[in-house]
Amino acid sequence: PAGSELLRWQWREVQVPCLVAAWILVASLAKIVFHLSRKVTSVVPESCLLILLGLGLGGIVLAVAKKAEYQLEPNMFFLFLLPPIVLDSGYFMPSRLFFDNIGAILTYAVVGTLWNSFATGMALWGLHRAGLMDPGVKAELMDFLLFGSLISAVDPVAVLAVFEEVHVNETLFIIVFGESLLNDAVTVVLYKVFNSFVELGPAHIHAMDYVKGVVSFFLVSLGGTAVGLLFAFLLALITRFTKRVRIIEPLFVFLLAYVAYLAAEMVSLSSILAVTFCGICCKKYVEANISQKSRTTVKYTMKTLASSSETIIFMFLGISAVDTSKWAWDTTLVLGTLLFILLFRAVGVVLQTCVLNRFRLIPLDRIDQVVMSYGGLRGAVAFALVILLDGAKVKAKDYFVATTIVVVFFTVIVQGLTIKPLVTWLKVKRSDHHKPTLNEELHEHAFDHILAAVEDIVGHHGYHYWRDKWEQFDKKYLSQLLMRKSAYRLRDEIWDVYYKLNIRDAISFVDQGGHVLSAAKLALPSMPSRTSMSESSVTNLLRESGSGACLDLQVIDTVRSRRDKEDAVMHHVLRGSLYKPRRRYKASYSRHFISPDKQERQDKEVFRQNMKRRLETFKSTKHNVCSSKSKARLKEKGRKKATSSSLMGAGPSRVSSQGAPFSNHPSQHLAAAPVLVMVSSDEEESNSSETEREDDEGIVFIARATDEVLQGKKTPESNIPLTVLLSAFPGSLDVCPSPCIIPPSPTLAEKELPWKGDQADLAVYVSSETTKIVPVDMQKAWNQSISSLESIGSPPGIETGPQHKRFTCPVLEEHPQSASQAMPEQSSCFQFPSHVSKSSRSHSDSSPDGIEQQELQPLMAAEELSRIVSPAEPRWLIQFNRASHL
Amino acid sequence: APGAARLPLSALAHPTPVTADQIEHLHRRFKQLSNDKPTIRKEHFDSIPDLEFNPIRCKIVQAFFDRRNLRQEEDGLADEINFEDFLTIMSYFRPIEPNMDEEQLQRFRTDKIKFLFHMYDADHDGIITLQEYRNVVEQLLSGNPHLEKGAARSIADGAMLEAAQTCVGPMGPNQVYEGITFDDFLKIWRGIDIETKMHVRFLNMEPIAHCC
Repeated sequence: PAGSELLRWQWREVQVPCLVAAWILVASLAKIVFHLSRKVTSVVPESCLLILLGLGLGGIVLAVAKKAEYQLEPNMFFLFLLPPIVLDSGYFMPSRLFFDNIGAILTYAVVGTLWNSFATGMALWGLHRAGLMDPGVKAELMDFLLFGSLISAVDPVAVLAVFEEVHVNETLFIIVFGESLLNDAVTVVLYKVFNSFVELGPAHIHAMDYVKGVVSFFLVSLGGTAVGLLFAFLLALITRFTKRVRIIEPLFVFLLAYVAYLAAEMVSLSSILAVTFCGICCKKYVEANISQKSRTTVKYTMKTLASSSETIIFMFLGISAVDTSKWAWDTTLVLGTLLFILLFRAVGVVLQTCVLNRFRLIPLDRIDQVVMSYGGLRGAVAFALVILLDGAKVKAKDYFVATTIVVVFFTVIVQGLTIKPLVTWLKVKRSDHHKPTLNEELHEHAFDHILAAVEDIVGHHGYHYWRDKWEQFDKKYLSQLLMRKSAYRLRDEIWDVYYKLNIRDAISFVDQGGHVLSAAKLALPSMPSRTSMSESSVTNLLRESGSGACLDLQVIDTVRSRRDKEDAVMHHVLRGSLYKPRRRYKASYSRHFISPDKQERQDKEVFRQNMKRRLETFKSTKHNVCSSKSKARLKEKGRKKATSSSLMGAGPSRVSSQGAPFSNHPSQHLAAAPVLVMVSSDEEESNSSETEREDDEGIVFIARATDEVLQGKKTPESNIPLTVLLSAFPGSLDVCPSPCIIPPSPTLAEKELPWKGDQADLAVYVSSETTKIVPVDMQKAWNQSISSLESIGSPPGIETGPQHKRFTCPVLEEHPQSASQAMPEQSSCFQFPSHVSKSSRSHSDSSPDGIEQQELQPLMAAEELSRIVSPAEPRWLIQFNRASHL
Repeated sequence: APGAARLPLSALAHPTPVTADQIEHLHRRFKQLSNDKPTIRKEHFDSIPDLEFNPIRCKIVQAFFDRRNLRQEEDGLADEINFEDFLTIMSYFRPIEPNMDEEQLQRFRTDKIKFLFHMYDADHDGIITLQEYRNVVEQLLSGNPHLEKGAARSIADGAMLEAAQTCVGPMGPNQVYEGITFDDFLKIWRGIDIETKMHVRFLNMEPIAHCC
């Protein structure tokens, strides 16, 4: 019946994607089911379970449809399933370990695979000649060699699936796994060469063809590597410029790696090598260039893709095996192949290790060799290759298919199941999964230099020598070319570890709820050694957490009544612990930019509050408070700051030893909590506004007892790093003090108790206007006004203060009594510390020893430290802006 | 090898010295560095071109003249070292021998760590103080001009805190951690297989013909 339909059944249109989605869904659900029982997955590798599941599903399909519908298509396998796995393994390959063992890996991959192929092929041919095989197996020497080449390659997918659960030591793992990746070139070449030989027929093979085979090996392997390197370079270069399109950053990684794969495949180079090397080589630069969020995205997407591919591959291996129409069983061939691949693998490993151990610094012992031999798993690559054979040319294809399936199943299931008990039984050195400590990282780093130096001295151009040379080259040219300026600047391994450790500490602290430490234990200034060190590291951290963060703050403490004090405490407690609404966010949807969601913001808020509470513990009433504010895009730095507070507070977790190098008074130490403003010093980023405004968090204003809390906020439009309230920077020209200094100088009381002053004045302190950057052309005028004011406002006593020698330390400096007495009088006319800083700079220039002395002071005797300072002493909080040095 | 033949090998009193062949190589190199003089002075190391870029080169060179490393009685720095001393220093970088027993291995390891410890402990007082540690870290990071000194310092501080934590554990409020002693240093190194790392292959050494 014609006419319009309300609904139409459109199965045909969606059939293919629908089936694909269904299979992936089934496999993923199966994974959930497997992992319901920890017992099962701890004994049986997932790959085995998936193969068994595939067998089951294949059986059902066969029973229902009466014919095997689905199987692993070689095209699908090579074009879609394999690349994610290879990319994942290349990208997350521990490159240092890989290149440290590259010699062994290459030997096993090239020599080992060649040996396995030829030995297996010849031995099988021998069996055939001896008449032990079914006469149905119509195969010549070339056929057997072809079969040998495809069956002998260790499979990366299978190895990874099994070894990831075994946790052998890293060296062993990298050798087996590296071999499985790099032997692809050999496999591809052998497969193609023998395939063409078979197709040509033995009669038409000339000597020239053998030569061509050898040449093509080098072409395929080196060419594949070159393609990989080329795309790695491109990828790194592209990610350098993605700053404004953060959202598609991860895409580039996948896209270029995939294009590398396809490009290599297109010209029949080794595509696995291409992607592997692309992943290994680009990682360093890409990770440095892309944002933190993109890094996470790349990581998760890659893992998800690889994991799903692996799941599908194993499941389809199982399903394909059901298709009996492709099978032709020959017991001799199957058993012979199984025997030979195990035997020759073992022989090959032992022989090669013999040779290699003469050159290796850490010899591979017998146990390692057993695991290496036994870990030579075959997998889907072999299966896909055997399916790809042309049945018309290779007469014994069906036999080969059956044998391959058996071999794959045997290695994955039997060896996969038994390798774990074997490793335990042999007491193979397991990998220890401890995170690197800072000390270890430092020592390792020192080590590299020492070894390189010794090689230089001995005049032996060994491995360390070349690695050193490469690192210098990388630093000088490659990194500069491929990394963003901002990333390049901060790029340092030690720094990275330091940073990560700090974050870990902070997170673990927050996880503990942030109040583990009892106030009684930590709150009072009576613990010089420990807190002072905590403090030192905190201040240190704050200073350099820098790398960008800086605020110069002058805090003037005055004597005040008890009443006032209490008021202040109350006020600040309320201020500090109430949740403050932040700047309102545009409720906008954007496909291009991700705005932090509410939850995230609240988390951040909680985190910050936690940290603040933590810091507070350290403060006695008259202390300045560290409150900091950072834009979310500087989240890292902000977090580091937070970390620093955790460091400070985490008495049990981080214990201090030495006195703080910054202040010579412990109680002052406790008091010192610099106000910190996060600043981007990165010109590259500073002019981008749209994206980053999204992340902007508005202003935090948190006051604490007796402190002035100063907030700074960098406006996205500004190019110049934000400076500081109430004080000028130590003399550097490119720093522009914030204009809020000019406005009415608050009275002391106003400063102490901000709510008592004019509200408008208060607003000056908190509003973002206060910290707006003075444009460059205004700087001059500004400086002039400062200097003119300086002459009026500065008491001569300050200059004599010995503590003013330093200006680089972001800590408060104390004034000697004389200075403090001078302070109250002049507080009505506002105090500019800039001259102090300047004078201190001149001091410091002239007397570096003085600095040293001061730095070391905390290390000195305790009695000196415990000198009590009147609370009326003004303190200076000086931080410098990193940006000002650039 | 005429040079090697008249060498007193007593410097290599420890179990597995380098082989005669390697000694010959080293001797050739030694003469090359010292301009055929019997001893080497610090300045001679300046002439090694590749060493120039090494951020901690002065520490390394100093280690060659450190009497503690030379197994000599007195303390301090030697002005010049002869070939014997040179070999002694080099022997710290021997690779592990397959036939070593547990005790030898332990001593071997300790020796190597001691060498490093001496490198950090600049004032020879048996303790790596914060200041000494900072110096080393500063030098280590000096290769990166974009990291400020402050960064190095806070890294050193962090490392020191960490060391205190691993070695002493949670400390009481009034406890002061003086610095890393050798025992603490051993503890820190527990996680690293120094014996598998600190060695330079002397085998097949080709002295560079035209160095310096």
